[in-house]
Amino acid sequence: MSHRYRPVGWTRAKILYDAVLLAAVWLYITAYMQWGPLLQRVTLPLDDARLGMQAYGSCALLLLTLALSIGPLARIDPRFLPLLYNRRHLGVITFAVALGHAFQVLDWYFAFSPTPSLVGLLGADTAYGQLRGFPFIPLGIAAFLILAVLAATSHDFWLAFLAPPVWKAIHMAIYAAYALVVAHVALGALQDARNPGLALLLAGCIATVVGLHLVAASRDRTERRAAETGWIDAGPVAAIAEDRAIIVHPEDGEAVAIFRHAGRLSAVSNLCAHQNGPLGEGRIVDGCITCPWHGYQYRPEDGCSPPPYTERVATYRLRVRDGRVLLDPRPNPPGTRVEPVPA
Amino acid sequence: MSAPFFIGWANHLPAPLRAPLFGFALLLLAGAAALGTLLSALTDDPGGGEFLFAEGAKTLQGVVTTRPYPVLHLPDGRFVLLSGVGKTGVEADPALEGRGATATGVMLRRGEVEQMQVEPPGLVARDGAAPLPAAEPLGRWRIAGEICDGKCWNGAMRPGVGVSHRACANLCLIGGVPPLFVAQRPLAGQSILLLGGAEGGPLPPPLLDWVGLRVTLEGAVERRGGLLVFLADPASVRHAAAP
Repeated sequence: MSHRYRPVGWTRAKILYDAVLLAAVWLYITAYMQWGPLLQRVTLPLDDARLGMQAYGSCALLLLTLALSIGPLARIDPRFLPLLYNRRHLGVITFAVALGHAFQVLDWYFAFSPTPSLVGLLGADTAYGQLRGFPFIPLGIAAFLILAVLAATSHDFWLAFLAPPVWKAIHMAIYAAYALVVAHVALGALQDARNPGLALLLAGCIATVVGLHLVAASRDRTERRAAETGWIDAGPVAAIAEDRAIIVHPEDGEAVAIFRHAGRLSAVSNLCAHQNGPLGEGRIVDGCITCPWHGYQYRPEDGCSPPPYTERVATYRLRVRDGRVLLDPRPNPPGTRVEPVPA
Repeated sequence: MSAPFFIGWANHLPAPLRAPLFGFALLLLAGAAALGTLLSALTDDPGGGEFLFAEGAKTLQGVVTTRPYPVLHLPDGRFVLLSGVGKTGVEADPALEGRGATATGVMLRRGEVEQMQVEPPGLVARDGAAPLPAAEPLGRWRIAGEICDGKCWNGAMRPGVGVSHRACANLCLIGGVPPLFVAQRPLAGQSILLLGGAEGGPLPPPLLDWVGLRVTLEGAVERRGGLLVFLADPASVRHAAAP
């Protein structure tokens, strides 16, 4: 299978996805800067620049929280999977909003000074020796730089150029960026807040991300009773729907997708050879495992794409004992045929 | 019926997914509007400091004191802190100390505290004797409050205090804008004190690390006309408890 690179492979679903996201960002910023001030109890209104900093900054925090929540949400309820497949668009929009926040800060707090803005950015506050009053701006800058790298590499070209495992490892830095953003807010704006709004927002965001990840992890945890040495219990046969899969996470090694097709079970690597898409979230179409990301297909019995395509994924041995599926977590070389096991 | 299956490049969502995802989109949009409005409405009061551009430039006459920072003492007992354009101070010739002068510029006001952004022709000495306000020592004090840059506190920025504003405040103070100490409780009837070093000079640089925080600071306080001046010892600075 081959494809050419385009800036964005637009589809109607992606356009709708981006339209909803951009509308949500516009609504939030407009509400913060236009509607909220009508309800503020203030002696004189805040500067527009400061209001903008708060609006864009809190919006970036919320978008980042959403980006990190979609993954576990989709693992808990597969109906959210379509949100996951376009998450790169959400990441780029998040970076753009963070850029808006950065510009507002630079153009206000670091303007009007004989000290150059970028010098002031790192040199105006250097009280690193104390927790209360620890310089919070460098934390935001670090998070911003991570988001910039992630946004710049959110394209199929970089995924192919870097190879999926490296690309994935780089993009896991989103968690570091989130921690930096939380620290940036906690040591900065939160220190000044005299109302509970920001504290509740921050606590709510952290609780959402941590809570969803914990719930998803607990659901992913397969009963791993050792049935035979080296084999792991992947759960009841009945849990695997026809033409669908369950995903098993061995203690060591990569996730495995166990499919049922025509009443027989086959196991392949959960990682698509194209871009590491989650094969276990796909289904059998025309007798082939079909990746939900880009539709790459593999035969369940040998992990090979049907001719003339040449992609291959690793296969695994299975057994069925007392209505339960047993998996040998040691992968066979990609493309190795393994006879499907009657369910 | 098998569960719906969506491939990333597909044009349309499978029918069974449309309703839940449409509901999620509506929730997202409504939540964005509601949350933006709510968080903005909860914004803390930044105070009543104001840059009075609408009043245009004014010219005031008074007596100048230059230490720790330039101040114009008006004949009616009021005082006006002096700063330059942007994040700069006023270059006041030490020879102006105790002399009559005129200052021209745009005013900032917060309550009874006034400040002028001095603009050309600037601070100009004028002839004739002028009474210098007597300095009245009020003893040594340990005061809880916040170190601010006087210009932003006075309304150049709203809000112009706090940790999130600290880098901006430090740039102002490095540029020579007069610092203020905003006391948690009034001292001799006032909560706003002009801050300087223990020797009567400008703010000691180590105190920049404490700008925007709740601190306690010890030093001599003296009254000059309507102005309280706090000449603080930087070694005495400590974190203060919340008021």
